[in-house]
Amino acid sequence: MITSLAHIAEPVTTVAPDIFGDVGVSLYHYLFVSATLFALGVIGFLTRRNMIVMFLCTEMMFQAAGLALIAFSKYHLNHSGEVFVIFVLTIAAAEAALALALVVLLFRRRETLNAEDWALLRG
Amino acid sequence: MIQTILTPMFAETDASTEMLEKLGFLTPEIALFVTTCLVMIIGLSSSRSIRDTIPIVSVIGLGVAGFLAYTNQSTIAGAALGGIMPFLKTLIAIVGIPLVLLMSGTVDRDYENAVARGLPFDSIRSNRGEFYAFLLFSLTGLMLCASADDLIWLFLALELTSLPTYVMVSISSGKAKSQEAGIKYFFLGAVGAAIFLYGFAMIYGATGTTVLFAGDGEYSITTAFAADLADGALSPIATLGVILAIIGVCFKIAAVPMHFYTPDVYEGAATPVSAFLAFVPKTAGFVAILLLLSAVGWGFGAEGTSLPEPIRITLWIIAALTMTFGNVLALLQQNIKRVLAYSSVAHSGYMLVGVIAGPGDGGSIASNGLGAVLFYILCYGFMNVGAFAVLACLERSSGDEIETFEDIRGLCETNRVLGWVMVLCSASLLGLPPLLGFWGKLYLFTSGISAGEYALVAILGLNSAIAAFYYLKLIAGPLLDEPGESAKGLRETPYVGRVIAATVSAVSVVALVPFVNVLANAANDAATVTPAQAQTLDGSEAKIESPRSDDDA
Repeated sequence: MITSLAHIAEPVTTVAPDIFGDVGVSLYHYLFVSATLFALGVIGFLTRRNMIVMFLCTEMMFQAAGLALIAFSKYHLNHSGEVFVIFVLTIAAAEAALALALVVLLFRRRETLNAEDWALLRG
Repeated sequence: MIQTILTPMFAETDASTEMLEKLGFLTPEIALFVTTCLVMIIGLSSSRSIRDTIPIVSVIGLGVAGFLAYTNQSTIAGAALGGIMPFLKTLIAIVGIPLVLLMSGTVDRDYENAVARGLPFDSIRSNRGEFYAFLLFSLTGLMLCASADDLIWLFLALELTSLPTYVMVSISSGKAKSQEAGIKYFFLGAVGAAIFLYGFAMIYGATGTTVLFAGDGEYSITTAFAADLADGALSPIATLGVILAIIGVCFKIAAVPMHFYTPDVYEGAATPVSAFLAFVPKTAGFVAILLLLSAVGWGFGAEGTSLPEPIRITLWIIAALTMTFGNVLALLQQNIKRVLAYSSVAHSGYMLVGVIAGPGDGGSIASNGLGAVLFYILCYGFMNVGAFAVLACLERSSGDEIETFEDIRGLCETNRVLGWVMVLCSASLLGLPPLLGFWGKLYLFTSGISAGEYALVAILGLNSAIAAFYYLKLIAGPLLDEPGESAKGLRETPYVGRVIAATVSAVSVVALVPFVNVLANAANDAATVTPAQAQTLDGSEAKIESPRSDDDA
C-alpha cells in the first residue's frame, strides 16, 4: 500500500521509478506523453478548420486523459483508473458516433468540411 | 420498496447491502429512466394518436420522479454535502415539467402541420418520440449528477446530461442554423469534457482513488484532501486537477473561458431548446462544482472559511470576468435570444459568488453561499423558462421566430398574458424586489459579505446595475411602448403547452415569494456541510510527513 503522494511532485531522481519495469520509464514519462497529447489536441483544435480533424483533436485530448489514468492506476496499484478508462472509451465511442452524424448532416446541406464556411451565427 | 424486491436476489453481504442502499437513493432516477424507455417505445408506434401521448407520459414520469425525490430523504454516506440530493432532485423535477410543456410543437413542426392538413402519416419520418426521450435522458443525467459519490459516476452523469442536448439542438428546427449551432455546441462540449476529464485524472493521480465520499471514515478523495490541507496545502497535482475540472465544467455553466458558444447556440437552437440549455447543463455544472469543492472543503485559511488559495483565486477571476463579460456584451445585442444568452452567462457569474463564499457557519441562509446557490438555481429556473417561453409563444406571420426588441414592443397591449409574463420574468431576472429573483440575489450578496469577499460583492452590485439597462428594455418595451409595425404582425403559436409553461413560470415568480423563507431554509439545510476527517491512504490519521514505504512496488 502506498502511503502518501506528496512526493509526486518531487524530481524524478528522488522517486523510485522501478514500478514500470526496469527500462527506466517512470510515471513522469507517461505523464509527459499524456500532457503532450493533450496540448497537441488543444493546439490542433484551435488551428485546424476541417471538422473531422477538429473532432479527432478532441478525441486525442480524451485519450491523453485515458493515458494519464492508466499510468496513475499502475502507479497506485489499484484498478480504479483502468475501470475509469473503460468508461471513458465508451463515452468517446458515443461521441464519435454523434460527431460523425452531425458532420454528415452538415455535409448534406453544403458539400464542405471546412468549419469556416459555416457562419450563419455571428454576433 | 426497491429493497424488498431486490433483497432475495442478493446474498447478505456487505457489497450487496451497499448496493441496495445506493439503489434506494436512486429511485427518482430509476422512475425517470423507465419513463424515458417508455417514451422511446411509444415513439415507435405507427399510430399518431398514441404518439401524441408522449408529452403527457413525460410529465407524469417527471411528477412521479419528483414525488419520489421529495419523499426519499436518504443521503450519501460520508458526503460533505449529503443533504443536497433530495432538494436538488425535487427541484429538477419541478422545473423539468414546464420545460417539457414548453417543448410542444418543437420538433418536426412542418411535418406535423402537413399531416394536420391531410398528408398521410408516415411513422418513419417523425422523430418526436426520440426528442422527448433525449430530453428525459438529459434530466436523468442531471439527477444522477446530484447523486454522484464517485468521479467515474460524476463524469458519466455529466456526459449523460450533455450528449442528448447536442442532438436536441441539431434537430430542434429543420433550419441550417440549428444544425450549425448543434455542431458548434458539440465540439466545444467535447473539449470541455476532455478538460474536466483530464482534471479528474489528475485528482485520481493525486489521491489514488476515484471515490469522492465514503462512509465510516473510509479512504476517499475527501479524506485525502483533508489530510493534504492539514499539512498546509493541496499537492500541486491535486490543485491542478481541481482547477482543470472547474475550467472544463465552465463549459456547462457557460462561464468565461468557455462561454463564447452561448449566444450562437442559443440563437441557433429553437427557443424551447434554448430555455432547456440555459437550465439543465448549467445546473449539472453547478452540482459538479459543488460536489468537487465539497470534497476540497471550505476549511482553509485563517478563519477556516475559505477555499485553498489557488482554487479561490481561479474561481474569483472566473466569477468576476463572467459577470462583467455577460452583462457588457448583453448590452450590445439586438436579438433578444442573444441578450438572454449573455444574461445566462452573467447569472452563472453571480452564482459563482455563492460558491466562493462557501457554507459559512451553516446557521442561516444569509451566510450560507451554497444554500444561496441552490436557492438561486430554483429562482433562475422559473424566471428563465418564463422569459424564453414568451419568445417561444410568439412568431412572425412568416413562421419565423421573433428576434428583436421591436417585436415585443407594446406586448402588454396586444397580448396581455404574454406581455405580463415577460415583464415579471425580466423584472425577476433583474432582481427587482419583491420578486423571487430579488431574494435569490439578496442571499448571494449577504453570503458574499459574510465571507468577506467585499471586492467580489462590489463587482456583483455593479453588474446588477449594468444589467438593469437591458432588462429595463425588456420590461419597459412590452409595458409602456405602443406596439410597432412588426409587433402588430405577430401571432401566437398554436401550442397550449408553451402558454402554460410561460404562465406557470410567471406565477411561480410571484406566488413563491411568501414561501421564500421556507424554500431558503430548505436550501440552507440541503447545503449544510459536515467537515471531513483528515485521513491518509493507509488509513491512519493525517501526519506531517508520511514517506512512501518500500514494500509497495
